[in-house]
Amino acid sequence: MARYRNRRAFLRDLGASAAALPFVLNLPSMGFANSQARKRRLVIMFSPNGVVPKTFWPDQEGSTFTLKESLKPLEPFQKQTLIVRGLCDKVRGDGDNHMRGMGCLLTGIELFPGNIQGGSDTPAGWAKGISIDQEIKNHLQARPDSRTRFGSLEFGVMVPERADTWSRMVYAGANKPIAPIDDPYQMFRKLYGQAKDQEALKSILDDLKDDLRRIGSAVSSDDRKLIEEHASFVREMEQELKSGQRQDLGHAVPEIEPGLKHQNSDMPKLSRMQIDLMVSGFAADFARVATLQYTNSVGGARMRWAGVDEGHHELSHNPDSDQKSQDKLTKINKWFCEQLAYLAKRLAETPEPGGGGSLLDNTLIVWTNELGKGNSHTLNDIPFVLVGGGLDFKMGRSLQFKHTAHNRFLIALANGMSCPVEKFGNPRYCDEGALTGLV
Amino acid sequence: MKVLDRAARLVIAAMLGMTVEMSSATALAGDSGSTGAEIYKQKCVSCHGPAGEGTPDHYPRLLAGDRTTPALAKLIAKTMPEDAPGECVGPDAEKVAAYIHQSFYSREAQARRRRELPRIELSRLTVRQYRETVTDLIGSFRDSGPNKTDEVHGLSAKYARRNGRGRNQGKDDSINRVDPEIRFDFGSVSPIPSQQALVELSRQWAPAPVLLVPLSTFRAFSQEFRVDWSGSVEAVETGDHEFVIRTENAARLWVNDDAHALIDAGVKSGDQTEYRGTIRLLSGRRYRLRIEFFRSREKRASIALLWKPPGGALEVIPSFRLSPSRVSESFVLATPFPPDDRSMGYERGTSISKAWDQATTEGAIEVADYVAAHLCELSGAPESGPERDAKVRAFCEQFAERAFRRPLSAEQKALYVARRLQGARDLETAVKQVVLLVLKSPRFLYREAGSSVPDGYDAASRLAFGLWDSLPDATLLSEAAAGRLKTRAQILSQAERMAKDPRARVKLRLFLLRWLKVDQPPEIAKAPKLFPGFDEAVVADLRTSLVLFLDDVIASPQADFRRLLNTETLYLNGRLSHIYGGGLAADAPFQKVVIDPHKRAGVLSHPYLMANFAYTSTTSPIHRGVFLARGLLGRVLMPPPEAVAPLAADLHPSLSTRERVTLQTKPQACTTCHGMINPLGFTLEHFDAIGRYRTEEKGKPINAQGFYEAQSGETAMFDGALDLAAFLARSEETRLAFVSQLFHTLVQQPIRAFGPATPAVLAHFFASHEFNITRLMTEIMATSALTPREPSA
Repeated sequence: MARYRNRRAFLRDLGASAAALPFVLNLPSMGFANSQARKRRLVIMFSPNGVVPKTFWPDQEGSTFTLKESLKPLEPFQKQTLIVRGLCDKVRGDGDNHMRGMGCLLTGIELFPGNIQGGSDTPAGWAKGISIDQEIKNHLQARPDSRTRFGSLEFGVMVPERADTWSRMVYAGANKPIAPIDDPYQMFRKLYGQAKDQEALKSILDDLKDDLRRIGSAVSSDDRKLIEEHASFVREMEQELKSGQRQDLGHAVPEIEPGLKHQNSDMPKLSRMQIDLMVSGFAADFARVATLQYTNSVGGARMRWAGVDEGHHELSHNPDSDQKSQDKLTKINKWFCEQLAYLAKRLAETPEPGGGGSLLDNTLIVWTNELGKGNSHTLNDIPFVLVGGGLDFKMGRSLQFKHTAHNRFLIALANGMSCPVEKFGNPRYCDEGALTGLV
Repeated sequence: MKVLDRAARLVIAAMLGMTVEMSSATALAGDSGSTGAEIYKQKCVSCHGPAGEGTPDHYPRLLAGDRTTPALAKLIAKTMPEDAPGECVGPDAEKVAAYIHQSFYSREAQARRRRELPRIELSRLTVRQYRETVTDLIGSFRDSGPNKTDEVHGLSAKYARRNGRGRNQGKDDSINRVDPEIRFDFGSVSPIPSQQALVELSRQWAPAPVLLVPLSTFRAFSQEFRVDWSGSVEAVETGDHEFVIRTENAARLWVNDDAHALIDAGVKSGDQTEYRGTIRLLSGRRYRLRIEFFRSREKRASIALLWKPPGGALEVIPSFRLSPSRVSESFVLATPFPPDDRSMGYERGTSISKAWDQATTEGAIEVADYVAAHLCELSGAPESGPERDAKVRAFCEQFAERAFRRPLSAEQKALYVARRLQGARDLETAVKQVVLLVLKSPRFLYREAGSSVPDGYDAASRLAFGLWDSLPDATLLSEAAAGRLKTRAQILSQAERMAKDPRARVKLRLFLLRWLKVDQPPEIAKAPKLFPGFDEAVVADLRTSLVLFLDDVIASPQADFRRLLNTETLYLNGRLSHIYGGGLAADAPFQKVVIDPHKRAGVLSHPYLMANFAYTSTTSPIHRGVFLARGLLGRVLMPPPEAVAPLAADLHPSLSTRERVTLQTKPQACTTCHGMINPLGFTLEHFDAIGRYRTEEKGKPINAQGFYEAQSGETAMFDGALDLAAFLARSEETRLAFVSQLFHTLVQQPIRAFGPATPAVLAHFFASHEFNITRLMTEIMATSALTPREPSA
């Protein structure tokens, strides 16, 4: 079992009070904020092993529908929710369904032949193309008005420490998988490391100046010039630290709590930490695109906190007739849905900097999966549950498509993010262009 | 236009020069009866100023140099006054030369005039010292592992059957051996022998490990298998090393850091067969290395491990850089620093800049992050529990003590450690603050800040920075604590111990490369039509050839300086042999070869240096001569009075290089220096622009005659490199220059600050101890480590 390499205090108090207020008070000029195109953000959240259809998909289509057990946590956000059924991962070729389900999910293209042997089918390697989140990120980063410090942030929760086709869904290009960061301390360093370093530097400055004074008085007069020159550099650094302190960061550095490990029992806390970091990263406009990957395709989390002792993957193989297993799988998906709801809640609570409304009003979360259903390993009816107002989709609906290639949905996501894509992944599955009916 | 003007002027000047020479030779000896001072006032002062300081219009430079009085008199007689040479000759020239020499020209006179004696200046760590120091500072909290050098080169290998990932099937029939390098084409067979073959093979293996098992002994079956290689790799240069794995299968590579694979090609995907990863390494240090290789269902199996060191070419990592034993992970600083001042010919830390100060901040942050990330390992503290705080506190105090190279007072413990631990929110933040404050402190950044009379700890630091460019080790610190670094004998015995450490050898190697002016790998490119095959890889091999030679001399017990000048053999591999001769097989590894019997003279004719001191198509006797005069003989050469482009060879198709250079430097203004440079450089004319031996150029036999007028007044005559080498090996000038340069590299303070006689005393020591470089090195440390600094004001 791996242990995080660093221990820090984590977001103790990262509610609206700590994270949001400082920058609300620090608002940049808002004169033209509303006349410009609004910010659009996209989050893709992944959980593995399919769903239990009868506790997942609403029975109704249209704007009046009832959320079933798996999706109950979304009730507070039902009006901002769009449930899309009937999308199929039609990409075939090398690799078993778990592998293709993962590798082709956001790329829409086949895997290369390779050496990773699944439970069935031929062995395979990495996907042959870029994933849609990276395509969108590249588009946003190429334009000054949508460029951000990182462009995209790849979060993970309990992703196994091995790089293979089952553990990677984000690709910078063919054969270029991007590893999610599942260590919140590492993510914290990435987001706030510089700010923390500056704090630490400030805290030692007085003692350092004393030290230089003491040494300066102990050396000969000729040598003292060098120490005096050195002291002047330290004073300059002090000035720069003071003037540059709050410039690049719109809000206070979150405080963190130490000691979480890469272990199954810490998964709920890790999930919250990552979500909190994502929200504060959005508030600071570090990125407009994010992914959040729970475990991996075939992931075997044991959700004892949700009353499930068995591993997720082994449960997902049990037949529909095994009611106990079906109930447990429903609990598991409900837990994932709670994470989605927590993310939505945090976004809804956080005001949009420089604009009206909340972060959720300008963010679309897409929750998806590598399979439609665990025991059949089907790539039909891949779950796509959308929450938030980021892409001008008409929310508050349950939609049913007929065996439609998911590539078309990926195109719609890109277009919704103002990224002009006509075909994505294998063009064979893009014939009718972007999926219609979402807006 | 300008070019033509110049050419025309040069030709005219050349003709004039000849006339002048004739007239001065035939002039009558003059004696005006005036004193030297009177003559100077009368004939020289209008251009050179009352004290040789120069005048803006005529000679806007200080008149100073290292010629002897007779040499100066000869020059004056020949060339002065500039508007009427021949007016000051004979006794007049001698008198005025003596006056000039004594009043302001000589080094001593200059020092006297400036009323400045060289002194030991307060110095910060040089960039190299900073890097080495933080590596060793962190390394001091780790078990460094065996510091021995392996007798066998290569990597340990374990070949095993492998079914899928991680599941060994059946009994363990893996085989272990040492592979000299990683370059295998297994084809479609598996290297796992049958049980029968294994028994036979193991009989052949004992006692020495068999390096290669012929593939024919393997049972041919297309079974999945894996190979694990492990060991360490030695970096030759400091900087970014690019590692490359070529495989048709799957592999992972870890270098230095076991937690993060430098190359993760565990997934074989599509047609990709080459994978790259870059990591920063420090020269002369060994880094742990591990490879996992898997063959799954692919039809064929192959793997090669290559690298591209800084300034080098992409090559299969050669066997002599690999060892089968592992070493601990080590910290390598990535923060870039502005380069040190080298205006005196050696790196020194007597000046600082804002960029340097910022780099020390970034460096401190980088170290602090690393320490925080490895806190449990380095401090031995558990992750939690009552012991943790005490262990971390002890670690912080030790960190500060080792960084400052001396124990902390109670007050300092409070300042650097206790206050940080009390003030901060959590332990990790506190530790980072300790590291930041310690590494930003002048007590870390400066050497011997604040002590005038060196105590044992200062002596320990001087020894460690001198010989290793790094911190004192535990032995030195305990000797200092016990008061056993007070006498010359105690210092010498420590220096002798330390000279055996690989770091001392690396420093010596670095010094020799600097002495030869190639410490920074130069860009060497040659005209491809004239020198086919002389490419980047050959240049890299030539550098390796030189380094192997230097290491060979350094590592021998005699460490005889003269071997550097008179060795006949060259290290060649197959690729070099193809160009330089020696008849080696194309893939032959480096070995000592004699290719030109009785022609070659160690470094003087080493092809790497010959190619470096040459143009793309022709040799450059001037570059070679300057290298010999300035570098090996330690002469002071003024820069040319004006920038001069070399005469193009094709404008003078009939002239040999020697003739062309002679023509170009004929003007009077040139002869002051080129009279010394050219005859030295000409002695190496037998070695062409890539350092191959030749007997003729353009159909004319090579004239490699030359001479050198020593400061003693002796004129040595040479015919070719061997004569030159014999002279250099016995010349006191070479010795003084070598001794001074080594002193400066080790001590990083002016040698004369340690007494005006120090160079001569050390040079004498060197000559009377069989020119043993290692003994010279320890003697320099014994001479310098106890010298007091000037007292604080």
